[in-house]
Order: sequence, then structure tokens, then C-alpha cells
Amino acid sequence: MKIRNLATSFLLGLWVPVLLVWGWYRVSIDSTNPYFPPLPDIWARFQENWVFALVPIHVVPSLRNLLIGYLIAVAVAIPLGVIVGASKSGGSYVEPVIDFVRSIPPVALVPIFILLLGLDSTMRIAAVAFSASFPILLSGIDAVKATNNVLLDTAHVFHLSKRQVLWRVRAPNAMPQIFAGLQVAFQVAFVVTIASEILGSGFGLGAFTLIAADSFMIVDAWTGVILLGLLGYALNLVFDIVERKSLRWYFGQKKLS
Amino acid sequence: MTIAISIDSVSMDYKTYSGIKHVLDAVSYDVADGHFVSIVGPSGVGKTTLLRLLTGLATPTGGEILVRGSKLSGAPQGLAVVLQDYTRSLMPWLTVEKNIGLPLKTQKLNKAEVKLRISDSLEEVGLTGNEKVYPWQLSGGMQQRVSIARALAVRPSILVMDEPFASVDAQTRFDLEDLVLKVRADFGITTVMVTHDIDEAVYLSDEVVVLHGSPAKVSEVVTVNLPFPRSQVATRNDPKFAKLRTRIYEKVRGL
Repeated sequence: MKIRNLATSFLLGLWVPVLLVWGWYRVSIDSTNPYFPPLPDIWARFQENWVFALVPIHVVPSLRNLLIGYLIAVAVAIPLGVIVGASKSGGSYVEPVIDFVRSIPPVALVPIFILLLGLDSTMRIAAVAFSASFPILLSGIDAVKATNNVLLDTAHVFHLSKRQVLWRVRAPNAMPQIFAGLQVAFQVAFVVTIASEILGSGFGLGAFTLIAADSFMIVDAWTGVILLGLLGYALNLVFDIVERKSLRWYFGQKKLS
Repeated sequence: MTIAISIDSVSMDYKTYSGIKHVLDAVSYDVADGHFVSIVGPSGVGKTTLLRLLTGLATPTGGEILVRGSKLSGAPQGLAVVLQDYTRSLMPWLTVEKNIGLPLKTQKLNKAEVKLRISDSLEEVGLTGNEKVYPWQLSGGMQQRVSIARALAVRPSILVMDEPFASVDAQTRFDLEDLVLKVRADFGITTVMVTHDIDEAVYLSDEVVVLHGSPAKVSEVVTVNLPFPRSQVATRNDPKFAKLRTRIYEKVRGL
């Protein structure tokens, strides 16, 4: 799918959210419940907060932690997954450990990271990088393990070295499946970024939203939640575009078959 | 006549859940330098097993294979393959030129030489102008031509083909057979081809080796004394062609 098609399907899909926002407006407009403020109030505050007064102190640090942590995870977990997946025995030793650590809800690891690394952004980046690594690692191991034999036989007969087989055959062949892991990892990274701010931070979207709710600034809390939703949605869109650009061969082939 | 490949009483056993399966039993055959040899036999007889041994993908449990006098261990130098399953054998993430260029990365060639080899081999298989497309954008026959071009680009002295035309339609098959004859005339590469198509074996080969039995032995070596150049019409209508295919057919059937 081209980016223009993506944009078209985005616009076509727009009527459902429009309907939902309209419904929300109708239901909330006469609300006197302080926890459920009228949508226009939220919208006014949203503009005051996020266009763009508070962006530098709350959005920038969150996005920075998210991106640095995620990119560290990508840079470490893809090569590691490829190497472990290709090793004959390696996978069977490492996989149970990975499965165990992965089974712990990532957010539950945040307190451990605080104990180990304190309350600064190093801790937050480390928590994001650590939790995002596992989905990537697992998808890499699985995909590389499943390289078809014809491909490996061909590489062998043509005398490709072990290194060439790994990085020029097994790794690119595994990329479509690794991208599925990258997507899950991205969602994990987003959740952990926000969760890591709920403790011991004055900055970041997670911190802002929680502090607002705790200090009875309900309208502000609502704007934080809405911004989180919009941000998550936009980031996923960016991810889809990057995926389609990087895996053009895969999507092209899939479309033909 | 020099011997390119010497198969010397080669046996192959596999361990399976139900015990040991003997696939090949003391298979002996010498492939003369520059010859085109086809290996035929009933399905499951062990043709592909023999081919895996020749390419160094497996090691025989008995006997030995000599390539130009030296014992085979691993894939021999100067050998290239064309496999039946071109959709899996070509890398879908690489364009045609990069697919052909991949094996060249193992040879110390400069950029100009790599480019020349790619364009030469694409020209030989009639695919000039398709450098930048992906293999999956091409028809099956054209993909198999890319496989052949990739094999030719390494300038092999031995070409091994495993049922190379089994996955394409009949018309394309004739075209590819003629392409192989042309390549053979141009380069004189020693070629070993496994096929289940007896007509194809006769049409292309200097000699046809028939495997038969379980475990398989060489039951017959048939010399194909049809003149070159061969053509789909004249050669296949030659009365000698009919005789040869009948004889091979009977041997494959164990008659």
C-alpha cells in the first residue's frame, strides 16, 4: 500500500471517531459531575496546555525517553535474536529465560529499575529498552530458526561464509517476522515510558496526568489522557509507514501471490 | 578424456525412526569433463540424495566422490547449482542483479568485474534490462533464468541442476531446455542434471544414468549419440530419439 492509500483509508476510517466525539460532546455538555467535565472545557484546556505551552516540559522528555529506549532495544535485540536463532543449541538454553522474563508484566519491573538505577531519566530509558527488547528478541529467534532449507542449501553451495549467511540471508529473510516483534515492542515501550513517569517524576506526560488527577485538576488530567491517545495513534501510523518502506519487497510479493 | 567428477562406490544410509534406510548402494560413475549427464530414475529412488552428495550438502556413508581428483568435503569450488524451487532459492528481498551478485561476494572481484559478470550472464539467459526488478515480479520461467544467470556468473566449471524445469509450464520448459543447450554450447560446462522427464534427459544429454532399486544402484548408462545442434522438432523426431527414450523408460521401470 502506498502512503497515499494509507491516507485515504485513514480518512475513510474517520467517520467512526467523529461519531464518537459527537456522542461524547452530547453526553458531557450538560454534565455537572466534576470528574466528567463537558468536552468543550477539556478542548479549551487542551489548547492552552498542548498548543504548545507545556510541550517542551512534558511531551519532549516522554518522547525522548521512548525513542532512545526503543532504539537501544532495536539495536541490541535484532542482532542478538538473529545470532541466537541461528546457533544450533543457543536457542534452547536462552529461550526459557527469555520466556520467563517476558512473562513479567513490564510495568511491574519499573520499581526494580528505580531501586537499581534511581529516579532519573537513565532509569526510565533503561526500563523502556529492557522491556521492549523481549518481543524483538523472541520474534528474531523464531524467524531465524525457521529459515527454509532451500535458501540455506543455496547459500552453502555458493560458498557464502557463515557471517554472510547470517547477515545477508537469514537476517533479511527474517525481517517481516521481526517487524511484527518490533510493533509489539513499540507498544510495550510506550506503556513503560508513561508508567515509568508515574513514580518520582515531575516531567513527562505520565507524570503530568497523574499529578493533575491527584491534585483535583480533573480537566487537565483529561487533556493528558487525550494527548496520550493521539500520540500513541500517531506513533503507530509512523511505524506502519516505516515498516512498509523497509519491507517493500515483502508487501510487493504478498500482493502478487 | 579427463574426469570431472568421479563417483566411486558411493553408499548413503539415513537413520530414520523405523531404523536405517539404505538409499544408495555402491553407486559408481565417472562424469567426463565437458559432458552433460542426466540422472533419471523412478521417484524416491535417491536421485536428489545423489545430487546432495555431489554438491557437498551431505557426506556419503560409504565410498567417495572425487572432483578433479580431490576428495570432496563441503561444497566444491567452481560448482554452481540451479534448484527446482526457484521461489525459495532466489532471495526475494534482493533485485535480480543483487541476487546474481550475491555469490560473487565470496570471490575477490572489483566492482567493474562484478557488473560485467552480471550483465554478461543476464544477456546469456535473455534477461537484459531486468537488473532492477525483484525476482517475484517475473514469471516462473524468467525466475529460473535468473537462477541460471546466477549460476553462470560465478563462472563454474561444474553445473548441477535439480529438476530445474519441473515447476514451469510445457512451452517455457522447451525454451529453458534450449537455453541450457545454448549455455552448454557457449561454455562447455560439465553439467549434471537430475530429472524425472526421460524425453528431457535424452534431448539434453551426452549420457543418461538410470538409477533403479532400493537401495538404488546404477542400472544402466545410456550414451545419447544424437547430433548437435539439437532442435525441439528435428531431434525429437529422430528415430534414434524414440529408441533411446524407450530403452531408458524400460530401465527406469526395471524391465
